[in-house]
Amino acid sequence: MDVFEAIRNRRSIRHYKTDPIDDKKIQAVLEAAHWAPSWGNLQCWRFILVRDPETKSEVAGTLTKVKVDNEWVENAAALSIKQAPVLIVICAEKCQAGFSADGTPVTDKGEYWFMFDIALAVENLVLAAHAMGLGTVIVGGFDAAKVAKILDVPQGYTVVTMTPLGVPDHKGQVSPRKQLNEVLFEDKYGK
Amino acid sequence: MELFEAIKNRRSIRRYKADPVDDKKINAILEAGRWAPSWGNTQCWRFIVVRDAKVRAKLADTLAKIKLPDKEIPNPGANAVNTVPVVIVVCAEIGKSGTKPGPGGGGGGYVTDKGDWFMFDTALAVQNMVLAAHAQGLGTVIIGLFDAAAAEKVINIPKGYRIVTLFPVGVPDQEGKAPPRKELSEIVIKDKFGQ
Repeated sequence: MDVFEAIRNRRSIRHYKTDPIDDKKIQAVLEAAHWAPSWGNLQCWRFILVRDPETKSEVAGTLTKVKVDNEWVENAAALSIKQAPVLIVICAEKCQAGFSADGTPVTDKGEYWFMFDIALAVENLVLAAHAMGLGTVIVGGFDAAKVAKILDVPQGYTVVTMTPLGVPDHKGQVSPRKQLNEVLFEDKYGK
Repeated sequence: MELFEAIKNRRSIRRYKADPVDDKKINAILEAGRWAPSWGNTQCWRFIVVRDAKVRAKLADTLAKIKLPDKEIPNPGANAVNTVPVVIVVCAEIGKSGTKPGPGGGGGGYVTDKGDWFMFDTALAVQNMVLAAHAQGLGTVIIGLFDAAAAEKVINIPKGYRIVTLFPVGVPDQEGKAPPRKELSEIVIKDKFGQ
């Protein structure tokens, strides 16, 4: 699939078929993620492939509930995680991206460059999945400490985000984007 | 260009020709950035397209020098920023991404232990942009090591916004090397960590 087509037509998918997916496709998605650039080529990302239904349910239980009409309901993504055959949990090795060799942060973003590097990889991942007919939805609202416990993530790593990977069971909605002139300036801010 | 080809063959380019770049190509890059997903569709990113040579030079001055044992040398990124016709500065509105919904989308308090997700969301957009540049034969290199406070002054960034990164866009004057990647087995874990 053409790059621009993939970028333009990828959607966040919240309903999945339970159909299994080919290991080769999973491999291709992970390789795409791994080809992302990173701070000093440190590649702080780690991917946990969760297929076990019980573990997936446990992780789904950590998602932040959402308030609809004054009632707290399960996040739509929790159901997605249970439906899709694979859940990819993305962790970061801490104190790598944005740090000098002696272990001190070198920018005003402190320890948070891992958020940037992980997202570069995640964008490749979701584009690659879409190009192969698979759906994803980037999930951020969950209890990261609980997920780390469930998945035995060791100290020195943090769970950043996760996405189900599976065959979409709906088309996915286009979230309206701001106009380019709302987010774009020339030479200096406000111009 | 086919997506997987773009993903695998994109390189960080540090040497550029001074050749001009068609506005249509720059627009296609910005469009690609705009189509990235974001926390609650909050789209906290703002892009500043810098063509003015004086502004580019001031930005280049904010890049950290490289410390060698006996001397300091200019960052190759600074040269790139001064050579290319266009630099894209990416900044973020603070207090939107990573928050509960509020009036106008976001702004209702942070949800996770990561606080503000602006670094994450801007990077989703940046990856789209570097792929879109490569697909059009243009080079980029994502720069993170610079004095953001100084750069914010150069660009007149208002309160409530922060500069995250900047990258030159231009015609490559080198092939670009593929830095070695860890083996997939080093970074992919099945079911639980350590298995």
